[in-house]
Amino acid sequence: MSDEAMVGIVLVSHSAALAEGTADVAGQIGGGSVVIAAAGGTDDGGIGTSIARVRRAVQRAAAGAGVVILPDLGSSVLTVRALLAEEDFADPVALADAPFVEGAVAATVAAAAGGDVKAVLQAAEEARHARKL
Amino acid sequence: MPGSCEAAITLTGDLHARPAGSLSVMAARFASVVELTVGANTADAKSVLAVMGLGATRGQRITVRAAGADAAEAVAALIGILAEATPVGG
Repeated sequence: MSDEAMVGIVLVSHSAALAEGTADVAGQIGGGSVVIAAAGGTDDGGIGTSIARVRRAVQRAAAGAGVVILPDLGSSVLTVRALLAEEDFADPVALADAPFVEGAVAATVAAAAGGDVKAVLQAAEEARHARKL
Repeated sequence: MPGSCEAAITLTGDLHARPAGSLSVMAARFASVVELTVGANTADAKSVLAVMGLGATRGQRITVRAAGADAAEAVAALIGILAEATPVGG
């Protein structure tokens, strides 16, 4: 299992700090074996999203097994959709409808366990039902 | 050949996020259904969020229960991780 490529995770947020911090948390919980690429903020470092940053993050996360993208809110989704409409990546790329932090953690653990894109996407989306208390 | 297996251990540290992740990554490698029980709460060991949701703390007794072809191996592997879990946060 460890000699096979793992699914990579891309975190798209309006804030670079939020994307990077969430990547740090998910990476710690997942044991550090999964590539988690943060794509937060605009090209000039402001609050917003950047199609160029998302494209670079997908390229970083793609290792042959596919990529699951988690958007935080609203226009993050639009930015990802715009990218996927204009570009064909070699890896299968899926967009997850999931809570950002919980979804990132669940997706990372599923990827670390060797799950394929479908399994990682499902883990992220099931995070919606996980109770915290 | 389906089977079932169960073992329990007393936690020497709180079940923080990091050991919860290790448990779920390991549990996912087995075909068996694997559950963790602490007090009245049971979680699917393959769901890291459910494992963290147990809120298991030092001194609590945690039971690992597995059902399936590799149940014994699954329980042994998870008990091993729980035995190593330390009180250090993460």
